[in-house]
Amino acid sequence: MEKKIAVYICTGCGIGDALDVDALSNVALKEYKADICKTDAFLCGKDGVAVIKNDIENEGVNTVVVAGCSSRVNADVFNFGPNVIVERANLREQVIWCHPADDEDTQMLAEDYIRMALVKQKNMNLPEPYQVENLSKTIMVVGGGFTGLTAALESAKAGYRTVLVEKEDKLGGYVGKMYKQVPLKPPFTDLEENCIPGLVKAVEEAGVKVYTSATIAKTAGGPGMFDVTINQNGGTVEERVGAIVLATGARPYDASKLAHLGFGQYENVITQSAFEEMVAAGNMEAGKVAFIQCAGSRDQEHLPYCSAACCVESIKQALYVKEKNPEANVYVYYKDIRSNGQYEHFYKKAQQAGVIFIKGDVTAITESDGQLAIEADDKTMGTTSEADEFDLVVLANGMVPTAAFGEMIEEEAEEEAAAAADEPKVVGPTIIKSNMLNLEYRQGPELPELKYGFPDSHYICFPYETRRTGIYAAGVVRAPMDMLSAMEDAAGAALKAVQCVEATAKGEAVHPRSGDMSFPEFNMNRCTQCKRCTEECPFGAINEDEKANPLPNPTRCRRCGTCMGACPERIISFKNYSVPMIGNMVKAIEVPEELDEKPRILVFACENDAMPALDMAGINRLQYNPWVRIIPVRCLGSLNLVWINDAMAKGFDGVLLMGCKHGDDYQCHFMKGSELAEIRLSKISETLNRLGLESERVRATTVNIMDYDKIPAMLDEFAEELEELGPNPMKDFQ
Amino acid sequence: MEQNNKPVKYDLTFAREIYSLENGSYIKQCMQCGMCAISCATREIMDYSPRQLFNLIKLGKKDEVLQANTMWHCTSCCTCKARCPRGVPLVDVMHDLKKYAIENGYADYPQAAFYKAFWSEVAGRGKVFEGGVTGRYYLIRGLDEVKKAMDMKDVGINMLKHGRLPLLPPKKVKGMGNLKKIIRKAQELQRKEAR
Repeated sequence: MEKKIAVYICTGCGIGDALDVDALSNVALKEYKADICKTDAFLCGKDGVAVIKNDIENEGVNTVVVAGCSSRVNADVFNFGPNVIVERANLREQVIWCHPADDEDTQMLAEDYIRMALVKQKNMNLPEPYQVENLSKTIMVVGGGFTGLTAALESAKAGYRTVLVEKEDKLGGYVGKMYKQVPLKPPFTDLEENCIPGLVKAVEEAGVKVYTSATIAKTAGGPGMFDVTINQNGGTVEERVGAIVLATGARPYDASKLAHLGFGQYENVITQSAFEEMVAAGNMEAGKVAFIQCAGSRDQEHLPYCSAACCVESIKQALYVKEKNPEANVYVYYKDIRSNGQYEHFYKKAQQAGVIFIKGDVTAITESDGQLAIEADDKTMGTTSEADEFDLVVLANGMVPTAAFGEMIEEEAEEEAAAAADEPKVVGPTIIKSNMLNLEYRQGPELPELKYGFPDSHYICFPYETRRTGIYAAGVVRAPMDMLSAMEDAAGAALKAVQCVEATAKGEAVHPRSGDMSFPEFNMNRCTQCKRCTEECPFGAINEDEKANPLPNPTRCRRCGTCMGACPERIISFKNYSVPMIGNMVKAIEVPEELDEKPRILVFACENDAMPALDMAGINRLQYNPWVRIIPVRCLGSLNLVWINDAMAKGFDGVLLMGCKHGDDYQCHFMKGSELAEIRLSKISETLNRLGLESERVRATTVNIMDYDKIPAMLDEFAEELEELGPNPMKDFQ
Repeated sequence: MEQNNKPVKYDLTFAREIYSLENGSYIKQCMQCGMCAISCATREIMDYSPRQLFNLIKLGKKDEVLQANTMWHCTSCCTCKARCPRGVPLVDVMHDLKKYAIENGYADYPQAAFYKAFWSEVAGRGKVFEGGVTGRYYLIRGLDEVKKAMDMKDVGINMLKHGRLPLLPPKKVKGMGNLKKIIRKAQELQRKEAR
């Protein structure tokens, strides 16, 4: 594409007053030979946009650089369709709002941002969406329990062909075997009839293709093109599906491990599910019943987490007893009653029905003459409490996700070499062979777990998203939850699956870079088969072919660029994001000579949290160091070390990486990006030292969006330390 | 709270009796959050905070509950009632507990004697005569209390001087019969509402 470049400098919002706009125009026109450079006092207004549109239509402009506000605002205003490249130079939030007006340094900063934007668009092409051949928009739901049925119904109702796979011979799962269920509608106080028969009927009427007694032997491909082999009754069926909702649920915690609560020892100490069966069969005759909460849950020796549903389930079961005999004595021993949200009404209802709730840890359960006695540490009374003559003790034994059962995948052998070299190595996510999806992914056959075997990825920012694009976990397999949350989860995951097939059909990325049409392209001629891209991709997007070459699956890709950062040969690039593009941006920045005493600090900032934080610093008019030049990156994981070389060679005094928090409670939108960047950084410090460059010149820091107020101090501190180190010795070799 | 560290035993017999009082069933709703305790102005001098008192009821500690000074120190300021997240009308519950304690012979507290004296005065006259209330109070409390009363004589004399304490009882209200009917009706309603 022959580029016709137009630069539009907005002088509104105080930009015109603070900067020498003519000098900026000169940079665009004389230095970078832009075809058109115009200024406007209100570029995002109707007239301003009309000027740009007119140039696109009549002057043949196809590449637009808008110098004004941050790219985080007015994205819709400056969208001129798929055939026009638009690049934004942030003169507002990151220049005039955080640096003094009419200042030499501020002007230099603004000019550098214009240069960077012009170089960036020069190295950029229009992305061509990846098109899947024989794309399927079918949605497959794995698991026919409450969540699975709800998800299948939601997706079928949304107009998508839906396939439901259930391993039992009957739909319904755990909820299906219940006597009655917790309330799902206002006023959330009454026991409800089991909804499963109705749900099964609705699912069948909605035309969902149901496979019962079926398991998944193999899942190959990626979003829009998953080829699933289903084993059913000894035969196999092939289905091509677009996205998968994983709703395989959970299993009750193994009660045989709860001997300290008398399970296995006394016949009348039973589990929640056994009680449910007993009531459903009409065999429940007990007149005095105790429910023991957190039997296994919130216990470091058993399940460290809260199983979330057991409180509400026990309240329900206590009401079964009261329903049968209002005079029955029912006790609930609890740590905290966690009847979240609307279920508070349900808890109150149980109290009103006369269920006694005792806050305390059960210390002993004993039996005499077939009746049980409970001793507990009573927290409200500050002493021990006793209660006896129980006919039945029910243990709320919590839940374990079905994804947590199976053999853990062993780390590969290369580890030894890495350990020997004493190099930090990225620890891959744990994958448990739970035999649910049997994915044909190089990184393992199931979804990576987040914690405790739950295959979530980031429950606050993006629930349902697993670390495998197009596969969405819902219900208790994703996280422990009650029925109301599971219902919401089912709908949420089904809609995510719908989004995924629609985006894939258009060749767009799904979350979090929704709408991005670029995808990584590999220049295989130069590939050395080092496997770093296949190993480091947080989403398992890259398989390996027979010759050990990387085999990208573009529909699995989330476009973070981690592979691009990992590749030592730099053969991976996107149409609009590449190693040379950022490298050239670094080179375009003017670094003054040592004598000018104007140091330069390069900041690679993650677009997801660090960039908004930097913008917010501007919005709050926080002044920070004028030596700083900021380059946004898709994720710090896309940081290629050659950029550090470029920066050092160019004479930058320091490089700062601003990424998200990593580790256990990571906030990285791409799971591993910031962690990978730090690991890569640790590997070059030695090289820097050898070159006579202090490794302190390059460092990484974590920035949360709420840290915007700390940014000035962060940058000033770094600048001070750099000053102590003195100027970059490479400056002289320019 | 008194700590004896003896094991406590959950027994619902007493609790059922309390739950059957006019506002007693609200106690079931208590979730032991402690909002009443931190809202209470007289919590410091109570034996048990309202929350603890409610749990003692569940524990079947009849003596501890009815001998507690908690309800007698309640000033009916309604702060706890307004703040209770479970909507327990604590002030009304406290009134029920006071009445129940008196009826069951647990009225050891001076406040209980004062309630009784005040009530018989109002019920018998339709008005309050300070001298009458004081006299009845000391009669209920016993003669030892009279000695204590002598310590208060300066206050009494001052009140007399300022015309704040009439020497002679006032006349009864007109239509005592109607007042009695009203009271009877109210008591009937109360019994009806109690479950």
